[in-house]
Amino acid sequence: MLRQTLYGSLLLAAFGLHAGDTVKLAITGPFTGGSAPMGASTRDGAKLAIAEINAAGGIQVGGRKMKIEVIERDDEAKNERGALIAQELAAMGDLSGVIGTVNTGVCMAGDKHLQEKGVTKIICPAAGSASMTQWSKAGVKDNSIFRFAAHDGIQAAMVVEEAINRHFTKVAVIFDSTNYGVSGRDDMLNQIKLQGNKLQVVAQEKFNIGDKDMTAQLLRAKAAGAQAVLIWAIGPELAAVSNGMAKIGMKAPLIGGWTLSMSNYIDNAGKNGNGTLMPQTFIEEPITPKAKAFIDGYHKTYKVDRIPSAVAAAQGYDAVYIFAAAVKQAGTTDTHKIKEALEDLKEPVKGVIATWNHPYTKWNPADVTTHEAFRREQVVMGMVQDGRVVFGNASDKARLIKEAAGTPAKAPAKPGPKAKGKTK
Amino acid sequence: MNPSIIGQMAVSGALMGLVYALIAYGFQLTYATSKSINFGQGELVMVSAFFSLTLTNLGLPYWLMVPGGLLFGALLGLVVERAGVRLALEQKSEGWILLSIILGLFFFSAAENIWGRDDRPFPTPFQSDPIRVFGVDVTRQELSVAVGVFAIMGLIELFKRRTLLGKAFEAVSADRDAAELMGISATRTVMLSYALSGVVAALAGILVSPITTVGPTMASALILKAFSVAVVAGLDSGFGVVLIGMALGALESLASFYLGSGWREAPGLTLLILALAVRPTGVFGKAVIRKV
Repeated sequence: MLRQTLYGSLLLAAFGLHAGDTVKLAITGPFTGGSAPMGASTRDGAKLAIAEINAAGGIQVGGRKMKIEVIERDDEAKNERGALIAQELAAMGDLSGVIGTVNTGVCMAGDKHLQEKGVTKIICPAAGSASMTQWSKAGVKDNSIFRFAAHDGIQAAMVVEEAINRHFTKVAVIFDSTNYGVSGRDDMLNQIKLQGNKLQVVAQEKFNIGDKDMTAQLLRAKAAGAQAVLIWAIGPELAAVSNGMAKIGMKAPLIGGWTLSMSNYIDNAGKNGNGTLMPQTFIEEPITPKAKAFIDGYHKTYKVDRIPSAVAAAQGYDAVYIFAAAVKQAGTTDTHKIKEALEDLKEPVKGVIATWNHPYTKWNPADVTTHEAFRREQVVMGMVQDGRVVFGNASDKARLIKEAAGTPAKAPAKPGPKAKGKTK
Repeated sequence: MNPSIIGQMAVSGALMGLVYALIAYGFQLTYATSKSINFGQGELVMVSAFFSLTLTNLGLPYWLMVPGGLLFGALLGLVVERAGVRLALEQKSEGWILLSIILGLFFFSAAENIWGRDDRPFPTPFQSDPIRVFGVDVTRQELSVAVGVFAIMGLIELFKRRTLLGKAFEAVSADRDAAELMGISATRTVMLSYALSGVVAALAGILVSPITTVGPTMASALILKAFSVAVVAGLDSGFGVVLIGMALGALESLASFYLGSGWREAPGLTLLILALAVRPTGVFGKAVIRKV
């Protein structure tokens, strides 16, 4: 009898949860494997934001406050796992949205299931161009997939720009043989052309995932006289390239996609990684009070002294706040209504990367930037320095501090003016 | 093409080839005494490397970590012998093939669960800065591979020739039944050979990890090549594996330079097929006349 009552009340409690007291938000990504620093950081950054929102009582939805309930799924960076997870999430019915995915291939395999059902998804932090352009190619009229990451187009432009600014003329282009690497190479070659052919590509080399010995490719680049290496690949292989360059005594900086800030690059390359440059949306330096609070919160909550991927963590954090703002504006947990609210966010969202003013607009298949939040000005150049990523150009740092200081806020900045993490 | 580049590619390839040779030597040790080999040898390399990394992270200096790692390798070798090989051999079955593969899979899962799936750096006291020898850049880590491989193989060969236990090893290798009649325990000798094979695997892991990083899949590429080296060289020539290992390594890296990295393995594997077609017992193997 007692047991029955117990089961009954448990069932009631469980049912109660499902009856719509919470906003269900799925977080997906690779939490294990080579891409895990990005996946786990996205998840942990997002959960930090969710914890803050829930601690404040939840999101104001219509007449009441609702807490966010997290559904976590590890896609292991495998396309087929990603597709299965997307199918599961699409079939849930009461899911309000999805945030996540690190690997462009996983987006390509899974997002169609969510898009078919109109489930709102914010891709974060997969940067490959294809995960958004697939929808314009398909001519989709109504798209429920958004992106919150500096896409490869922006990044490739910055990489080429940086090489030109540093007065290099001969470069080697090196990439891995995955979708990500090959499309990165295309973006970079395209940008070299767009920016006036100031760089001569003296070598084009590729390697496979899992390769440890890059001597052959690097020797060819060195023999061709490359002054810098423009590169598009993932952590462990990037480290093999840096270590290989040290071995053959090749002194040319590595400039490439934001994956060069992954901890499995920085740790495995050690001091050979110093001077490597990559576009970043967030640098783990407490230059504004908002950034300091976020960094301290992350370190304390997850007991680390360095965020495995600060970019992914900050993007996960901001994406949750943007999503929460859309839920509040929609006044419902219905994922279709949330999509419409996202496309027309009335109030600015204060994030750790920037203050987001109307990040998305109504989907236009001819223009993917309608569903892309990041523009060039929210991205800075980062540089590896003794195991950490710091600002590559002092001017970026000064700009962010100045912009943050431009508006008054409750928390006082270190000495002098008051600030509130506003960059846009 | 520039001779210094050819030299560079050949030398760095040959040094990697020494790692193949060392793992192949581990196959030879157990094959000599028991006519069995551990198909999970690659996992022994990997698990020992992870264990040594853990010792290093616990603060042990390199020169204490190495013997610790080798001892662990020996223990793992004994585990494989006891759990996977002995019963099968007693029943004169080929069950050791499957059992050693299964043990390998078990070690692999254990490593994934204990240490995770990520590749990790393996610290050494040797700097990664290159030094120039006859116009070729080599790193101290690569040189440590050469020194380690020759040292351990030299020591084991000396042991086999100069000590009583080593002579027992040789006797069992030559004729197991005759050796047993002389009062040598074949079971103990097989145990010894598996322990030595584990030591060799552990050393291979410790030497190669600083170059390739440590991860659960670190040995999968190595082991196939080591096996090829053992088969081509013949399963009873320690000198042969070194020569074939270095040749295969050099060939691979020259191929990746001239044909592109996608073709890295092709010429080596072609030569393997040719070598086996011409000399099925291995280039340095002895043809055994079997009386029926």
